[in-house]
Amino acid sequence: MQMVPLDTTGLGEKYEDWIRFIAKTHHGSNPRTNEVAPFSPLAKPLADSRVALLTTAGAHLDDQPPFQVATVAGDHTYRLIPDDVDLSRLRFTHTHYDTSSAEQDPNVVLPLDRLHELIERGRIGSSSPVHIGMMGFNPDPTGVADELAPAVAGMLLEAEVDVAILVPG
Amino acid sequence: MCHRSVGLVQGELERAGISTASVTVRPDVTVGMNVPRAAYLRFPHGNPLGEPHRPDQQHLILEALLQLLETATEAPTLIELPFRWKRWERWL
Repeated sequence: MQMVPLDTTGLGEKYEDWIRFIAKTHHGSNPRTNEVAPFSPLAKPLADSRVALLTTAGAHLDDQPPFQVATVAGDHTYRLIPDDVDLSRLRFTHTHYDTSSAEQDPNVVLPLDRLHELIERGRIGSSSPVHIGMMGFNPDPTGVADELAPAVAGMLLEAEVDVAILVPG
Repeated sequence: MCHRSVGLVQGELERAGISTASVTVRPDVTVGMNVPRAAYLRFPHGNPLGEPHRPDQQHLILEALLQLLETATEAPTLIELPFRWKRWERWL
């Protein structure tokens, strides 16, 4: 497939506009970001790598507590989704995007079936025993950066994950 | 804000030594978040991997992400994929 470099002309300015907009409209907002883009190249071939999926589309299991979407504070907790989950048990609690496609086919935001097919084909080595459901609407990003992200990183390192694929809502 | 949350988690994972790639439908936020690798799709929120029940399309997108992981030599490496959304009228 054709993969062209993204034309980033004007995107930095558009981001700054968005940051100013949410600062006016959402309490607690601040421009937290990665100061520089970090880079960890693949340590081994994908065929030998363990892969985890993460989504901020509000994915959780039917018997896990839904994400808190009723307040302006957001919710920077996470839900563990087992690798062998029955996808019909996934729920999507998020009020800032249309969840209907994810409800019809969870692979639209958490492509677990495709991941397993890639393992069968030998394209990747294995999958993480757990994948991560998060809810991305967090006007104040401090909790995401200082609590959620380190917790998820620690868990995936413990699971000996080499590669992570992240999908927004 | 989903994209900012992705960016913050992605940055932490990459700093921890995990190689990461993400999908984005908001390239402005993805650029602002300084993520290491991402693929932009001109899809609406809620459809980052396209239409429901399109495993062929989902595989093409995942394969692009895998190739991005294999070929990127610096961060950020941001690409655009040539899909177009056929149902924009639903979202207008």
